Amino acid sequence: MYNPLLQIGGSALACPDVTRRRLLKSMMFVTAALALPALPPDAVAAPLSADQKTTLFRLARDIYPHEGFLDDTPYQAVVDAIIVEAEGSPAVADLLSKGLADLEERSQRIYKTNYTAIPKPEEREGVLRSIELTDFFQKIKGGLLMGLYNNKELWPKFGYDGSSWETGGFIDKGFDKIDWF
Amino acid sequence: MSAKFDLNDDSLVVIVGSGAGGGTMANELAQKGVKCVVLEAGKTLSLDDIENDEWAMFSKISWLDKRFSAGGWHGAVNHPGLPAWIVKGLGGSTVHWAGVSIRFQEHEFKMKTTNGEVVGANVIDWPITLAELEPYYDKAELKMGTTGDVTGMPHLPWSADFKVLAEGARRIGYTKMIAGPMSINSVDRDGRPACQQIGFCMQGCKLGAKWSTLYTELPKAVETGNCEIRTNCMVLTIEHDKSGKVTGVVYADADGKQQRQKARVVCVAGNSIESPRLLLNSASNMFPDGLANSSGQVGRNYMTHMTAGVYAVMPGEVHMNRGTAVAGIVRDEAHNDPKRGFVAGYTIEKLALGLGFLSAFLVPGPTGWGRKVSGALEKYKYMSGVWICGEDLPQEQNRIALHPTEKDQYGLPAPVVYKTDHPNDTNMRIHAYQQMEKIYNSLGSTEIYNLPAYPASHNMGTNRMSEKPRDGVLNKWGQSHDIKNLFVSDGSQFSSSGSPNPTLTIVALTIRQAEYLAEEMKRGNV
Ligand SMILES: Cc1cc2nc3c(=O)[nH]c(=O)nc-3n(C[C@H](O)[C@H](O)[C@H](O)COP(=O)(O)OP(=O)(O)OC[C@H]3O[C@@H](n4cnc5c(N)ncnc54)[C@H](O)[C@@H]3O)c2cc1C
Ligand code: SF4
Repeated sequence: MYNPLLQIGGSALACPDVTRRRLLKSMMFVTAALALPALPPDAVAAPLSADQKTTLFRLARDIYPHEGFLDDTPYQAVVDAIIVEAEGSPAVADLLSKGLADLEERSQRIYKTNYTAIPKPEEREGVLRSIELTDFFQKIKGGLLMGLYNNKELWPKFGYDGSSWETGGFIDKGFDKIDWF
Repeated sequence: MSAKFDLNDDSLVVIVGSGAGGGTMANELAQKGVKCVVLEAGKTLSLDDIENDEWAMFSKISWLDKRFSAGGWHGAVNHPGLPAWIVKGLGGSTVHWAGVSIRFQEHEFKMKTTNGEVVGANVIDWPITLAELEPYYDKAELKMGTTGDVTGMPHLPWSADFKVLAEGARRIGYTKMIAGPMSINSVDRDGRPACQQIGFCMQGCKLGAKWSTLYTELPKAVETGNCEIRTNCMVLTIEHDKSGKVTGVVYADADGKQQRQKARVVCVAGNSIESPRLLLNSASNMFPDGLANSSGQVGRNYMTHMTAGVYAVMPGEVHMNRGTAVAGIVRDEAHNDPKRGFVAGYTIEKLALGLGFLSAFLVPGPTGWGRKVSGALEKYKYMSGVWICGEDLPQEQNRIALHPTEKDQYGLPAPVVYKTDHPNDTNMRIHAYQQMEKIYNSLGSTEIYNLPAYPASHNMGTNRMSEKPRDGVLNKWGQSHDIKNLFVSDGSQFSSSGSPNPTLTIVALTIRQAEYLAEEMKRGNV
C-alpha cells in the first residue's frame, strides 16, 4: 500500500466541494492504492441498514465532536458520500459493514449495548480509540478532516478567512491590529 | 529568447532541477555566457496556477512520487509515504518556501572545532568559512531581494500575530525579535510588487512579492538566449566515459520516452533526497556504489533541522492567517551554549497555518482526532504558533537508500529516507517546548499544543562538502572529489545544517560555484 496523503490528509473520500474533487482527481493513483480487501468480482455490496447508517453518523460526530458549534449537516454530508461510495464499491461496502460489526461487537462486550446507546462521549471515544488504527476508522476520519476543516462553507464559523488575494490581502484590513495585551 | 540545444551538443552544462540551487545556477551561468540546459522533473507553473488554498496547492505541486519514511522519527508511522514536503515543479521548492533568509553564524561552519567530537554524530567543519561566503551572501541577498541592510529594503511590518509572539518573548527577557530577514519585497523591487499580506506564502505567492526562481532566475536565464528549460523531464541516470568523466544524462521526457542529453558538465540540484538518489541510481561497473561515492557518504548524513511546532490559544483574537506566513523570528536561542543541555542553537519562527493544515498537523497521523483536536480548532482565531528550526547533527545512518524492490513510476528504485533524532535533537526540542511554554504562559495562555516535526521542508547534507575526500562527497566548490565535471548545486552540499533556514546559503553557494565553474571551463580544467 502506498498513500502519502492517507496519514496527513486522510483518505478523505467524501468532501463535497470542488477543491476536494480536484485534489482527489490528482491523487487517483493514491486512492486506487488504498488497502481494501480483495473481493471476488461477483461479490454484491449489501446496502447498509438504517441502524448502520445511524451508527456511522454517531461515529462521525464522535470523531471530531463540535456540539453546539457545528450542526449535523456537514457530518451527514461526509457520511452520505461514503455511503454512496459503498453502493458503488463492494470493497468499500465490505469495509464499512465489517468495521461497523467490529464496533458493535466491542460496544456489546464492554458496555453491553449498541455503540449509539453508550451514554457518555468519553466512553464512546474509548471504544473508538481501540479501533482508531483500522482502515475503516481512518476512512471516516479522513473524510471528516476534509469535510469539516477543508470546507469553505464552514470556515467563517471557525474564524478562518481563506483565500484573500482577490480582495487585496490584509495590508489595509487590519493585519497588524491587536489590542488585548 | 529560449535557446534550443541539440541532444548531442556536448558543450553544455546540464542542470538537474530548477529550484533554489538549479534555478540560480542556470541564471548565473547564462548571464556569464555559459550555455546550459535545465531538466526539471515537474511541470511548468505560472502565477495563474497559484491558489490561496492549502490542500489544493499541496496536491498540485508537491513531490508525491513513491517514497518511504523510515527510522525512529514519528513520521515513519504518521507520514509513511511523505518523509519530506518539497515541490515537483518549475521553480522547485522556492514556489512553496516561506522566504526566511538568515545567514549562517561563523561557528556554524565549524561545528567540529566548536564542540569537538559528539558521540553518535558524524560532525565535520565546512571546508569554507563565513568570511569566504560573506561576499556571496551579499550577492544572494541582492538577487533574492532580502529585507535588511544589503538591499536597503526595510523589514516587513509586524503583523498582529508576530506582535503576540514578540510580546511574549519580551516578557521572558528575549531581545532578538525581528520581522526579517525575508526574501519578500516590502517595497516594489526588481519588477515585483510589495507584499500585500495575503498570507499564503507557503502555497506560492500569488503576487510574486516573494522570491522564487519560477519568476526571477529562470525567466532571466532564458532571456539571455543561453539557457533552455525542459519541464516534465525526469533525469534517470548520469553517464560517464572510461576515464570516469561524466558525459551526459538519460532522462524520461514528457511523453515518457527516454532521451540522452550529452553534457560537458553536470550540476545536480534535485534537493537532498533526489540528488543522492540520482547518484546512487547511476552506479556502473566502474562505480558500483554510485557516482562520486568513493567515500561511501552519498546519501548519508541526511539532516532536516531539528524541528517542532507549538500552537497556543490566546486570551484574545489573533487571526494568525492574516499576513505573511512567517511574520518574524526570535533569535535569542540561536547561539551555541552547551550549558543548555545541547550543542548548537535554534530559531523560533512565527508560522501561521490555515485551518486545513492545522487540523491535520495539530496532532498528526492516525491518532489525531477527538475532543482535544476539535475543541482546539474551534478556537482557531485565538491561536498563535511557531515553528522551531534548530541545528540537526549529521549521523551516518540518517540517509537516503534505494528500496530493494519498490520502484517509482519511472521504474527507478524508490528512495527510503531514514531519520532518527540524535539525543542532542531531543534535548534541544524539549528546551524549545519549555521556552515556548514560558512565552505563551506569560501572555495568559494555558492551552498549549506541542507538535512534532512536519514532513521535512529543509533537506540537507546527503552529498556533503568536506576538506578530506574520505569524509564527504564534494570539495569546497561543490565539485565531486571523484569526478571533476560533476557538481552538486543544492542543499545536499551542506557539511552541517546550521540553525538558519537553508535557502539563502544554497543560493550563496551556487553563485560562488557558478563563478568557479565558469572560470574552470574557461581554463579548460573541466
Ligand atoms: C513549505 C516550505 C517552506 C519553506 N520555507 C523556507 C524558508 O522560509 N526559508 C528557507 O531558507 N527555506 C525554506 N524552505 C526550504 C527551501 O524551499 C529549500 O531549501 C530549497 O528550495 C531547496 O533548494 P534545492 O535547489 O535544493 O531544491 P528544490 O528547490 O526542491 O528544487 C529541486 C528541483 O529538482 C527537481 N528534481 C528532483 N529530482 C530531479 C530529477 N531526477 N530530474 C529532474 N528534476 C529533478 C524537483 O522537481 C525540484 O523542482 C521551505 C520549504 C517548504 C517546502
Ligand atoms: S503574504 Fe506577501 S509574500 Fe506571502 S503570499 Fe502574500 S503577498 Fe506573497
